[in-house]
Amino acid sequence: MSDQTNVKLRLNNSELWGGLIGLALGIFVIRSGLKLKLGTINDPGSGYVLFYTGMLMCVFAITIIVAAVTEGGPTFASRWEDTRWTKPLLIIACLTAFSFALDQIGFLLSAIPLMLLLLRVIDPVRWTLAIPIAVLTPLGVWWVLKRLLLIQLPSGIFEIG
Amino acid sequence: MDTLVNVAHGFGVALLPINLLYCFIGVFIGTLVGVLPGIGPISAMSLLLPITLSGTPESGIIMMAGIYYGSMYGGSTTSILVNIPGEAASVVTCIDGHQMAKQGRAGPALGISALGSFIAGTFSLVALMLIAPSLANVAIAFGPAEYFSLMVLGLVVLTFLTQGSMAKALLMACIGIVLGLIGLDSITAQPRLTFGRMELIDGIGLVPVVMGLFGIAEVLINTEQFIKRDVINAKITQLLPNKADWKASAGPISRGTILGFFLGILPGGGAVVASFASYALEKRLSKTPERFGNGAIEGVAGPESANNAAAGGAFIPLMTLGIPPNVVMALLLGAFVIHGLQPGPLLITQNPGLFWGIVASMYIGNVMLLVLNLPLIGMWVQLLKLPYNILFPLIILFTIIGVYCSSNNVFDVYVMIAFGVIGYFMRKLGYEPAPLVLAFVLGPMLENNLRKSLILSQGDLLTFVQRPISAACLVLAVVLLVGPLLPSLRKKRELVALDEGV
Repeated sequence: MSDQTNVKLRLNNSELWGGLIGLALGIFVIRSGLKLKLGTINDPGSGYVLFYTGMLMCVFAITIIVAAVTEGGPTFASRWEDTRWTKPLLIIACLTAFSFALDQIGFLLSAIPLMLLLLRVIDPVRWTLAIPIAVLTPLGVWWVLKRLLLIQLPSGIFEIG
Repeated sequence: MDTLVNVAHGFGVALLPINLLYCFIGVFIGTLVGVLPGIGPISAMSLLLPITLSGTPESGIIMMAGIYYGSMYGGSTTSILVNIPGEAASVVTCIDGHQMAKQGRAGPALGISALGSFIAGTFSLVALMLIAPSLANVAIAFGPAEYFSLMVLGLVVLTFLTQGSMAKALLMACIGIVLGLIGLDSITAQPRLTFGRMELIDGIGLVPVVMGLFGIAEVLINTEQFIKRDVINAKITQLLPNKADWKASAGPISRGTILGFFLGILPGGGAVVASFASYALEKRLSKTPERFGNGAIEGVAGPESANNAAAGGAFIPLMTLGIPPNVVMALLLGAFVIHGLQPGPLLITQNPGLFWGIVASMYIGNVMLLVLNLPLIGMWVQLLKLPYNILFPLIILFTIIGVYCSSNNVFDVYVMIAFGVIGYFMRKLGYEPAPLVLAFVLGPMLENNLRKSLILSQGDLLTFVQRPISAACLVLAVVLLVGPLLPSLRKKRELVALDEGV
């Protein structure tokens, strides 16, 4: 890795941030364990395992941080080098929108636009193929689940599906 | 004699028309997900976990097992013909398998892969039949201290074998334990880390976690890459290997089978480790190691036999101790639990029909796979031409539906999407999801056994080292934890460390 992509004490060192997130999580778990009560060694409480797991998390996170500071680590930019990073971002956006819509407007009205977006936006499939797949797949799945397996998918405020 | 009676009983169960159908569906889907890059046995099994609810426990588990060993067969097809592994255990098959295909020898490569898999699969089943009942008898004497130490060893082995930094893998395992503890405490019934949400009282479901970390995250990773498929278009002829091929492959198949089986039994090991170990062994034993990488049939026969033998071996710790040695077996444990069954030492005596039925179905499944993978190879080749931009929206839709159907709860869909995004960033930053998932499954059991042993021993920590099996497991775990600090061992770990992907 070149000097440009492998940095030590810089804020764009991805290893450093990974370790810091781990440390924060570890501290949170220790606090949660303490809140739940540790109990005693011959009668461990609900927080006993959480507390010690949190301690271990902190130890491993500090090891990662120390390695990031002493040996350096790749920058965030180098992790996404030569990739089409906007594509996963678009999928995440589509899925987030879908998760909000699912309960509100129901499975069919949210799944058909989701499929159409995924088929057209990421690596565009031609319209004549995208529309039938986007419409028929959710409809087919809905029919099989509702009619054959008697599983009710969310129907939303319009009660469609 | 008892074994023969039990096997006959098992075939009685496995040959029921409904179980035959489920076995066929399992191996068919297994081959399908093995062939299709971007979807592996873990995603497929999580997707179909809810479906197992509709039938008997035998049918459901026969189908789930079929997906696992079926994917080992199917994975090689993609590796040989497209140079993209269909699933992680077939990564090493790409090296020589695709070279053989390029030289016009795709047929013998596919043939030896299927036949080697069949031989190894059959051997591992015979060994499973002979070893499992004896081990189950020994396991009855296991107390909570032994179970705790064995689970610790399993987690440490997996983190040792995971690619990249061991500290990262251990951090992932700890996070998995914490996630597994969310919900009501099984001893005090106190809610833990529920943030006041009713949906979290029962904990986070295995299906949304696995589907997010493996299914959605894999799609996100695949879409950001420029996947180029170099599909071999020539007509595949002469699938049966010739005399010279058999002569060259006999040793690798035998060694791969035995090595794979024992690596499969080890907690934390599995098919991926077995295939890499077999390839390294064959290359080392070969008089002409320079042929490896240039289309040596031994490089296909050994690893393919090893990963199938490992798939069979992995059933032993699950069936006899109730401890899943890898993520796939953790999902199978989920299928047992859904049906109110607890795999472990008493499973074979209390549910002989179930145990022997599953074993017998694997024999039948192996024969079905041979038929599916040799005469019907053309069908799978056609499937390889399905473009990824059509495939991935379907994968996303089916994962959403699979997660929703597992609990009839939209909250689980949110959990899956969240874990998908977390899984994507984890992989980008070099954190492997496999230790997290195994720890997530083992976490509650680990805690339960630790607390039970401390209560029983009145807080005496020496209980873990005074019992020989427990002590041996802990010593081995410590060796593996401390080992990478030594430069020579670190080098060895880097050689065997693997990406336990889908």
